[in-house]
Amino acid sequence: MGKKITIEPVTRVEGHGKVTIRLDDAGRVTESRFHVVEFRGFERFVQGRPYWEAPVLVQRLCGICPVSHHLAAAKAMDVVVGTGPGKLPVTAEKMRRLMHYGQMFQSHALHFFHLASPDFLLGLDADPAVRNVIGIIGLDKGLATQAVLMRKFGQEIILATAGKKVHGTGAIPGGINKNLAPEERDRFLKSPDGLTVDRMIEWARAAIELFKGYHAKNKDLVDGFAAFPSNHLSLVRKDGALDFYHGVLRAVDADGRKVLGDVDYQDYLSYIGEETRAWSYMKFPYLRSLGKAAGWYRVGPLARLNTCDYIPSPLAQKEFEAYKAYTDGKPNNMSLHTHWARLIELLHAAEVIKELLLDKDLQGGKLVRTGRRAPEGVGLIEAPRGTLFHHYRVSADDQITMANLIVSTTNNNESMNRAVDWVARNVISGRPEITEGMLNRVEVAIRAYDPCLSCATHALGRMPLEVTLVDAAGRVRQRKVR
Amino acid sequence: MRKRRLRGVDCDANYQLNIEDALACADHDVVVFVDAARGLRRPFRFGRLEPAAGMPAMSHALGPAQVLALAAALYDMKPEAWLLGIRGHSFAVGEGLTARGESDLGLALEFLEAFLKGERP
Repeated sequence: MGKKITIEPVTRVEGHGKVTIRLDDAGRVTESRFHVVEFRGFERFVQGRPYWEAPVLVQRLCGICPVSHHLAAAKAMDVVVGTGPGKLPVTAEKMRRLMHYGQMFQSHALHFFHLASPDFLLGLDADPAVRNVIGIIGLDKGLATQAVLMRKFGQEIILATAGKKVHGTGAIPGGINKNLAPEERDRFLKSPDGLTVDRMIEWARAAIELFKGYHAKNKDLVDGFAAFPSNHLSLVRKDGALDFYHGVLRAVDADGRKVLGDVDYQDYLSYIGEETRAWSYMKFPYLRSLGKAAGWYRVGPLARLNTCDYIPSPLAQKEFEAYKAYTDGKPNNMSLHTHWARLIELLHAAEVIKELLLDKDLQGGKLVRTGRRAPEGVGLIEAPRGTLFHHYRVSADDQITMANLIVSTTNNNESMNRAVDWVARNVISGRPEITEGMLNRVEVAIRAYDPCLSCATHALGRMPLEVTLVDAAGRVRQRKVR
Repeated sequence: MRKRRLRGVDCDANYQLNIEDALACADHDVVVFVDAARGLRRPFRFGRLEPAAGMPAMSHALGPAQVLALAAALYDMKPEAWLLGIRGHSFAVGEGLTARGESDLGLALEFLEAFLKGERP
């Protein structure tokens, strides 16, 4: 066994959002930073553990997307047991896909309705006491109820595929440990309580219309807020289709030129570097080919719809075409359009769930396959918030000797800093006092990326975001903590 | 507790509480939230819960009181709610229960079973 290291807090990556804005004598912003005290202890925790434990252990990294970590680790360990991409039994791969698209569905629904919609539907300057899901209930109880049922539906899909909601054991190295029983399938197709996949598709389409309606009335805000050019990175299927579960790694620049051309992610270290900066524990990934200064990129819904060529489901593809037409086919660099992209992905996830539920392969009996052992493996997946990297080395006696994880939120580190800087310079600069509305705009900029920092605050039940205004002499002028 | 098969009692386990748990609360007359607790001097602590007055502005997770507030706001249901905190001794990832944790858990479960059968503190 490797050395046992005790690190607290222990149940997940710890995170704490902190924004520092520095002003000159005239009150103009000279520097803004979004710091994260991210506890990366998991890379140490898993060392010395048997490799087959990794897909279960890593779920403790995150309370909202444990499935993404579960599957990324399982994919890496598939390589270790000689069952890399394309070699899994068809039932195993499709079960994992169903689990993942269920996760994507519940996470996107939760984010839009619970976290983002209060800003849109109640207003950025609304009283913070009501600018939340309770406020949405007051405004439109039917919509809020839908949100609950959409999240519940996704969670039920996860339960049916992973075996349990907490620390599911569905995906194992080389396969899956269960298939989908016909009665489980039928519950999602024709549930007597109406909680069916067709209903989810209908509600996802309605959510897109809701966003479009808001956009039509608030174009300046939605198009202009924290808009800035960037590179975009994600997995895409080999033929360029959107794929959340597997593919090749592709990146495009702000004008749509390919800056990373459909490479095998097993070689990600050749293409992705990670820079450290003294003021944040969270690293800054970049494309090696473009260097540290120019190689930073976005991941997540906005990036995925910029890198993919099309969406392989009819209703989402139709929405994708309208979305792409808005920017004349060019990459979309508008931060708040991330919500639009997220809702198109929500619809796509629901369509894929239906397609999988109707697929008899999910009732197949061949669940696991193994081959020739390899000393290391890399697993990538498109988590709700973006590309998630898991990389492990395993000794001959089955113990993990090295783990490297690049989580989606880390991939968006520079982008979130740029978004915060945009708010600092365009909303706060030249104004001596931070109002609550300004503070909320900082959050709105960060929230567009749906960072997982909040998962770290399980015990408190809120994301501790701290904004500090520092004058030219280094004195703290104002500080707000949420 | 699930294995004890108590009549009229449903058990659920979540990594963290979220909005759909409001629906589960609304469907029950009595709700007991159970979790490990730090810093307890006794094996467990048991107390009443009321719906929260406010909601977090930015979080993927909800506390028990916030779930109750959602149940009230969404479904007009206010179940009798309790929080059972069981003393935790070690929180190392991937480790099983410690002997002291096992003992405290046993005491808490005995108490909870009696409570669910009608005994009230």
